[in-house]
Amino acid sequence: MKETILQGLTQAYENLVRMIADFLPRLVVMLTIILIGLLIAYLLRAFVRSILHLTKLDRISEEAGASHVLRKAAMPSMSEFLSRSIFWITLLGFILLGISVLQISELQEQISRLFQLLPEIFVAILILFVGVLAANFLSRAALLTAVNAGYPSPRLWSGLVRFVIWILTISMALEQVGLARETVVAAFSIAFGAVMLAVAIAFGFGGRDLARQTLERYLGSREKEREKEEEPSPL
Amino acid sequence: MAEDSFLTDDLLRQLISVGEVDLLVGVPSRNNADTIGHTVEAIEESFQHAFPRQRVVIVNVDCGSNDGTIDLFLNSSGRKNASSRGITSLRTEHRVVARYENATQATVLRTIAATGDLLRARACAVVSAATSNLTADWVGNLLQPVYRQDFDFVAPLYARQRFDGLLARLVLYPITRAVFGKRIREIQSGEFGFSGRLATNCTTSDMWREPSIQDLPQACMTVTAIASGYRCCQSYLGPRLRPVAAQTPDIVTAVRQAVGALFWCVNAYEDYWMGHSANDTVPSFGPDHELTDDPVTVNLERLFELFRSGVAELSPLLKTILAPDTYAEVQRLAACDERKLCFENMLWARTVYDFAASYHHTLLNRDHLVQALVPLYRGKTYSFFLQHAASTAADIEADSENLCLEFERQRVHFMERWKSQTEVST
Repeated sequence: MKETILQGLTQAYENLVRMIADFLPRLVVMLTIILIGLLIAYLLRAFVRSILHLTKLDRISEEAGASHVLRKAAMPSMSEFLSRSIFWITLLGFILLGISVLQISELQEQISRLFQLLPEIFVAILILFVGVLAANFLSRAALLTAVNAGYPSPRLWSGLVRFVIWILTISMALEQVGLARETVVAAFSIAFGAVMLAVAIAFGFGGRDLARQTLERYLGSREKEREKEEEPSPL
Repeated sequence: MAEDSFLTDDLLRQLISVGEVDLLVGVPSRNNADTIGHTVEAIEESFQHAFPRQRVVIVNVDCGSNDGTIDLFLNSSGRKNASSRGITSLRTEHRVVARYENATQATVLRTIAATGDLLRARACAVVSAATSNLTADWVGNLLQPVYRQDFDFVAPLYARQRFDGLLARLVLYPITRAVFGKRIREIQSGEFGFSGRLATNCTTSDMWREPSIQDLPQACMTVTAIASGYRCCQSYLGPRLRPVAAQTPDIVTAVRQAVGALFWCVNAYEDYWMGHSANDTVPSFGPDHELTDDPVTVNLERLFELFRSGVAELSPLLKTILAPDTYAEVQRLAACDERKLCFENMLWARTVYDFAASYHHTLLNRDHLVQALVPLYRGKTYSFFLQHAASTAADIEADSENLCLEFERQRVHFMERWKSQTEVST
């Protein structure tokens, strides 16, 4: 009995040692690959950045209006954007390569699925990019309109516009990659409906006077004319 | 020619029947049945008195009127004083109508310029059909300098209520003077005159397609005249009445249209003003710009509140647009006591220049950028009211002169901002 237990423990210990001895070199290889990847990614970024500066890509992008779009999305210049993209793509590639060295079958399966999903991920990133542009542009437009018209809580309106577009964009992107499709649609419907209902209730009950004033301001041309008359004629 | 595809067949047929003319007066209109008859009378009276022998045409460019404006334009009898017809009975005073359903002001002005070019008019004038106090002298004063003294562009001078036209006084005039080097007071007006040469130049220009100038293209015509070396002058017309609120753009729209158009011109004519630092007066005919003391009602409390809240709410945008010291100073102003607010001329000049430079660098959407100027303009307007509540016309003129001089002094700062960010972005 005692011998059997000792034999079992010894075997378990040997297995553990064998597994560690088997896994550790792979882990070291993985970390080495990632470190080399990091170094190569840094070098590539610096190289691409200097090449793009030499080719005056930023000026071309400025003239073509692409920089304008990037700035609207609070993103860096075109050359910086491209060099950073190269950095992250390279690093991601090395990380995936390193993980595959671990030979964990589940992980390898996930990685191969990730590669299969790449086209959908690319489209989803594009959707997110356009969504960021639209959210930035429209929320800023809402902010400026509300501020210049003297409406109360302009940042709230601006934030609401941004939030709604973000929710819409994220749900579209997740839908594109096929992640928990039903859950995403249901979550979006519930979240969007809840926000709208909350706004309607808050605006209708909590601020009846404000709602009346705002509606009067929106719909009443007399109010607008009175406001115009109260400001000095600009031209 | 550009206008071959631009003018409608109907308009071209009418122009062919007119032939060449010496003088052309363009009348843009949109539901101006109340005043267009009076406008035509004034124009014909001017032709009769000041230009009895010249070949003349009046061109009405209508933008979808549905109140009979066009019929009134074509059928109004014109002359009030039949005994003074004299030699005018020997000529035909043509009336031509260009109809658009929904045209922008750029299309309207381009149509008038293209018509002047096609008819080889020596002198053209544009008068607004909405101006209820237009007289024959106004038309004559716009046409005479071009026709008889060989000027190419005639800007109007008005007598105004002292607090009216503040956008022109605080932004448009100082920039035109400091950047383009010509002291032309009214660059965005419904009335002005121009030569056939300038009409030809403008007709072939690409500027008409630019979205920023679609609603107020007059500034571009003024700047084109300055930058192309045409002879410019100013001519006094008379009192400019405050139009009824329903017919005027609100303060936000006015800033977007007028400042947006001027910033676009500054950007488009960079090569001209970068190498041109002169500051010339232009010849003026008649009395100088006048200020009247008519009463005006302004809600100063609301004006200040919109300035204060605007600066607070737009602080991230303003931080991007303004130079750090200018931004800090604006924040300090917005936090100060309502009764002590004083928007100094130097700070205002730097603020406007920072906006113009940021417009050039497209730091954010250009229309949004111009809209962000509105709260600061309100602040400057409020400060102007506080400062000049009891001032005389002479005091206000002196302050305006100081503001213009400050804009001229800060031109160096403007050029630095203009160039420095270009280097960063490249």
